[in-house]
Amino acid sequence: MNVHPSTITATGTFFDGRSARPHPVTLRLGDRLEIVGGEIREDWSLYDIRASETEPPTMRLTLAGSPTRVEFTDEALADAIGTRCPDLHVDDEAHGGVLRLVLWSIAAGLSVLLVAIYGVPAAAGLIAPLVPQKVESQFGASIDGQVVSLLGDPPLCDDPAGKAVLDRLVARMIEGAGLQVAPVVSVRRHKMANALTLPGGHVIVLADLIEKANSADEFAGVLAHEFGHVVHRDPTKAVITAGGVSFLLSLILGDLTGSTLIIGVGQAAISAGYSRDAERAADAYGVAMMLRAGGNGAALATILEHIDEDAEKEGSPTGFLRSHPYTKERAATIRRLAGEQKPHARILSDEDWQVLKRICPTSKPKPGDAKPKASGD
Amino acid sequence: MSGSASMPGAAPSRIDEVAFDRETKGLTGIVVKGVLLSLVTFGIYRFWYITNLRRYFWSRTIVAGSPGEYTGRGKELFLGFLVALAILVPIYLLLFGLSFAYPPLASGAGPISFFFLFFLGQYAIYRGRRYRASRTLWRGIRLGQDGSAITYVGMALGWWLLTIVTLGIAFPWMRAVLERYRINHTLIGGSRMVSTATGGMVAKPWLLLYVVGLGPLLVSVLAFLIANKFSIPADMMLPDPHKPGQFIFNPIYAGTPLATYGTVVGVVSAIFIPLAVLLFPYYRARETRAFMNAAALGASRLHSTLKARQFYWPYIIYFLTLIGFIVVFAIVIGVGTAIVASGGGGSSGFSGMHWLIMLLIIPLYLGMLLAFAVLAVRIITVRLWRAVTDSTTIQNVEALNAVLASSRRTASGLNEGLADALDVGGAIEIGF
Repeated sequence: MNVHPSTITATGTFFDGRSARPHPVTLRLGDRLEIVGGEIREDWSLYDIRASETEPPTMRLTLAGSPTRVEFTDEALADAIGTRCPDLHVDDEAHGGVLRLVLWSIAAGLSVLLVAIYGVPAAAGLIAPLVPQKVESQFGASIDGQVVSLLGDPPLCDDPAGKAVLDRLVARMIEGAGLQVAPVVSVRRHKMANALTLPGGHVIVLADLIEKANSADEFAGVLAHEFGHVVHRDPTKAVITAGGVSFLLSLILGDLTGSTLIIGVGQAAISAGYSRDAERAADAYGVAMMLRAGGNGAALATILEHIDEDAEKEGSPTGFLRSHPYTKERAATIRRLAGEQKPHARILSDEDWQVLKRICPTSKPKPGDAKPKASGD
Repeated sequence: MSGSASMPGAAPSRIDEVAFDRETKGLTGIVVKGVLLSLVTFGIYRFWYITNLRRYFWSRTIVAGSPGEYTGRGKELFLGFLVALAILVPIYLLLFGLSFAYPPLASGAGPISFFFLFFLGQYAIYRGRRYRASRTLWRGIRLGQDGSAITYVGMALGWWLLTIVTLGIAFPWMRAVLERYRINHTLIGGSRMVSTATGGMVAKPWLLLYVVGLGPLLVSVLAFLIANKFSIPADMMLPDPHKPGQFIFNPIYAGTPLATYGTVVGVVSAIFIPLAVLLFPYYRARETRAFMNAAALGASRLHSTLKARQFYWPYIIYFLTLIGFIVVFAIVIGVGTAIVASGGGGSSGFSGMHWLIMLLIIPLYLGMLLAFAVLAVRIITVRLWRAVTDSTTIQNVEALNAVLASSRRTASGLNEGLADALDVGGAIEIGF
C-alpha cells in the first residue's frame, strides 16, 4: 500500500474543532496521514492537508474546509509533510498573486493620479459654469474675509476721490464686456504688487501694484487681465480643482478624515495658480478689453515685465508673477494681440491717475499699520 | 523537540503560560516587503501587510501550549476599505458642496466633523475588534464578539463627556466600563469571557499621573483665574492661525497679574505636560495588568505580573536607536553638502558629483524609512507584545478544555475597512 519508501511516525496533539480539549495522538505519514489516539481515528488525504503558519519546529495541519487541527513538533515529519503534500500552502499569499496585486494597485494609483492631473481640471471646467451666480458671489464674499485675514488684515484703501476714479475706470472697462457679474474691486494696502481674483467677481488689488504701475494703462491692464479670470470663472474652477485633487489624494493615501478638505477650500482660492492656458486666455481677454475701452493694450506686457524684474531683483518669493516663469512669452503674445495702435492711447487722464494713486491715504504705508481710515461698507 | 509530559508534541512551553516567540525570525522580511510594496502600490498593499503581521504575531503567541491562528485575509480588509469609501465619499462630497454653497458652514464644519468622526471611529473600533476576533482561532475554536457597536459608541460618548466635565478624573472608570463591555462580549467558541474590571483598580496609577502631571497645571490655571477675578479679556491671546496651539500674548496686558500668572501657567505646562506624557506608559502598564487580572473564562483566570518598566524599555531603546540613525544620516548629509559646496562654485549646474550625492542620498533616505519601520515593529511592537504575553499566566488552565465551538456566523471585514479609512484601527493592538 505504501508508495513512499518510509512511513514516518511522530506524536502530536489533535483538536477536533468541537472542543478545546487536546487529544494526544500518534501521526503516521505514509500514503495518507493517519492520526490515531484514544477515540480519534483520522485518515487524511495528502492533497487535502493544509498548513497554517506557526513558529518552527511547531507545525499545525488542518484538513481543507474542516475545523480540525493537529499540532506537532517533529522536524522529520514536518519535512516529509512538506515534500509529500502538494497543496500544503495553497492558501498562502504567494499563490494569491502578489505581483498581480502590485501591478493592479500601481495601475489604479496611476489612473487616480491622471484623473487628478487632467480629469479634475476638465471636470471643474464643466462644473464651474453650472454654479449659480448667487452661490458663487456668496462664496466669494465669504472667502474675501478669509483671504484678507491670511494677508495679515491689510487696511482697505478707500480715499473717496480715488475710489470714485477707480469706480469710473471699472465701469468704463466692463461696459459692453458682457461680464456675468459686476466685479467688486477693492484696494488694500500691502507690500506686494499683486491682484487676486476670487469667485464671484471679487478682485482684491494690493496697493503696491498701483505704486509700481508707471501709467494708468498698466494698472488697468492688470485689472482687465483679472476680469478675464472673472469671465472665464477661473477662481471657481481653481477652488473646485483644488478640492477635488486634495480629495483624490486623500483617497489614495487613505486619510479620509476630511478635515483637510474643508479647510483647504479657502486656502486653495488664494494659492491656486492658474494654468498657462487660463493665463493666456485672461491676457487675450484683457488686451481686447483694454482696446475696447480705448486704452493701451500693450501696457499689460510692460507691467508684467518690470514687476518680474523687480521680483527677481528683490528675490521676493511672492508677487503674482512668480508663478509665471514664461513672462517673456506672454509679453510677446500680448504685444502681438495689441497690434500697431496709437501709442499714446490713455485710459485715464493724468489728473485722474494721480488721484487714483492717492487712493491709499498715506503714500508710504507700513504693512500692519493698524490705523486705517474707518472702513465703511 | 520533546514536548511537555502532559501534552506530547505541543510547543515547548509550560501549559499554563502565555508565551511569545523568542527569536522573531522572518519578521523583518514581512516588514520590509510590506513597507516597500505599500510604497509602490500607493498604500493599497497595507491591508495585506497588516494581515501578514497579524498572522505572524498570532501564530507566535502560544496560549496554554497551542499557538493562536489568524485566518483573516488582506482581501477582506481591502473590500472593507472600499465599502467605507462608498459610504464616506458621498458624505464628503455633500460636506464639500455645502461648505461651498454656505461658506459660514466651513467654520462650523470642524466640530461637526469631529463629532461625526468620533462616532464613526468608535463604531469602527468595536466592529474591527469583532472582525479580528472572528478571524482568530485557538485549538481550532473560533473566537467571536457580540454586543452592539451602537451601544458601545453611546457608552464611549457619554463617558468621554463625563471625563471632560470632571477634568479627567473619570478617565479610569471610563476605561473600565468600556473594557468590561468589550470583554463581556468576547466569546471563545461558545464560552463567554467575563471581566470584573473597575475604575477603582486603576484609580491609584491614574491619580498619580493626575497629581504629578495635571495637578500643578490645574492649580496654576486656578490661581490664574482667581488672580484675575475670573474675568479674562477676550483679546488676551491672539492665536496664531498657522500654528495651532501657539499664541501671542497681547502686549497691552504686559505687567498686569494677567501676564504674571499667565507666565506661571506657561512654565508649569511646559514642565508638567511632558511629565504627564512620560507617565502614561506607566499608567497603561498598570491598567493592562489590572484588566488582564480581571478577565476570566469560566473557571480559568488570567494572571498578569506586568511591570511598568517593561512598557518603558521598548520606547527608550527605540528612541536611542532612532537618534543614532539620525546622527548618522545627518553626518552623511553634512559631508555630502560640504562636498557639493566645495566642488560646485560655478553656475554650471549639476556636475557628476552632485548626481552622485543625490544618488546616494535617495537610497539612504529610503533605507532610513525602512529601518525605522523595521525598528518600530521589532522593538516597540514585539517587545510590548512580549511584555504582555510573558508576564501572563493562566490559572486553572484545565478548565479551558471545556470550551466548545459555537456555530456563530463569522463577522465581515467591512467595518475594519472603515477603521482603516478613519485611521483608528491599529494593526496590532497590545492587550485584549
